[in-house]
Order: sequence, then structure tokens, then C-alpha cells
Amino acid sequence: MSETFTLVITGAPYSSQAPQTALGFAKAAVDAGHQIDRVFLYGDGVHLASALCAPPSDETHWPDEWSRFLTQHKIPGVACIASALRRGLVNETEQKRYELPSANLRAPFEIAGLGEWVEGRIKSTRTLYFHAGD
Amino acid sequence: MTTLIMIDQPPYGAWTGREALDMAFSLAAFDQSASLLFTGPGVNWLRQTQHAGGIEQKSVEKNLAAAPIFGMDAILADRAACIAYGLDEHSLIEGVTLVDADADLLTDYDHTAFAG
Repeated sequence: MSETFTLVITGAPYSSQAPQTALGFAKAAVDAGHQIDRVFLYGDGVHLASALCAPPSDETHWPDEWSRFLTQHKIPGVACIASALRRGLVNETEQKRYELPSANLRAPFEIAGLGEWVEGRIKSTRTLYFHAGD
Repeated sequence: MTTLIMIDQPPYGAWTGREALDMAFSLAAFDQSASLLFTGPGVNWLRQTQHAGGIEQKSVEKNLAAAPIFGMDAILADRAACIAYGLDEHSLIEGVTLVDADADLLTDYDHTAFAG
């Protein structure tokens, strides 16, 4: 039976394995014919949506890998606005609102409220959480 | 769909508890059944008369006081953890239900979640 998943990532890339584990799961789920309704970044997980990560060239670029996966499969990626603003992750709208020097949200991620998580839980058959594990 | 949001970290020193509280409030705001369970050092959230000004933080007591207004079903605290941290009915904030945070309790809920 085909499942629909909402994935919640709360661990940041390069300080936790959460984004990597979540991507491995997401690829396997899609390959097996399941649907990913959306990916919701919460807490430190919002760092995955930063356009400014620049890891060494011999390391996997997890934000880039996630962006490509979401774009390829047309899966919405949403960063929680409260988590994002606290941690310095903003789109152009929030940049203007708070008069910040730049925006740094990477495509195709968007910024929205926890209502996106609530809706994902209702629409999906399963919601999985990928934490930092500390 | 009933959801239990679990907080197992103390109120100051980590932000995940506050973000867990936001998750619970969001569920309630969207008319989804939600309860909070405090376990381990997390029960210190429920201690009366917290003075967080000394560390330039807002007391989490006020956040929790808003739970009934938001329509939260229940605030639960693990009985054993309360004993371990010296919390009783005189030192706990109002409206807390003591429970045994075991597998039986979790079966009462469709979903359980941590913030991190």
C-alpha cells in the first residue's frame, strides 16, 4: 500500500546527521512508490535551507542535495518561520520586514508557520521526525 | 487524532522545550487534540515561581499558563520524575496531572512527538 509521508527535520546539517538520514529515507520512499507530501524544517533543522552553506568540496553539500531532490520530485520544503527568524534564515519578504542586510533562503524552500506541519500531519498517513539525537 | 508532545529537557539551557510548546499550541490553535507530557528534567518546567530574569529569559511559567486558553487537553507530568526533582502539589503550577510515563500512557495517543 502506498503511504504519504510528512518529514520533519529538526537537526542541522554538519552538526547532526538528521538531514542526511532524512534524505536517504525520502529517496528510498519515492523509489518504492510512496509520496512525500512535504518536508518541514523545525528548530535547528532550518539551517538546511540556508543558501550560504559552503562545505569543503570533498564533503557532500546536504542543502544542495536536498534542494535538488525537492525540485526534481516537486515536493514542498518549508522552514518554520519562528525557528528561521531566530536563527538568521530569511527570505526577501522577511528581509524587508526586519530591514536585514540580505536574504539567504535557498530555493525551493519556503518560509511558513507551524500550520504547515499541522496540515502535513493531517494529510499524510505517517509523519516522521529526524532529530539531532543529542 | 490525539497527539502527545513530550518535553524531556529542562526549561532553561535548551530551546527545544519552547519549540515543543509552540508545536502543542499550534495543534490546539488548529483544533487538533493535543496534550503535553513533561518527563525527566523536563518536569522543572512545571515548578512554581520561576525567576528567569536573572538569566535574561522569560519565565516559561507564563507560556504554560496560556495552555488552557489555547485549548490544550492536558498538562501531564511523570510522577517519578517529579519525586526525583522534589516537586509535589505545593510546588507544581496549577492544572498538572501526575501520570506514570510508560508504554501504557503512550498507547492512549495516536501520535507522539518531540521538538528535537
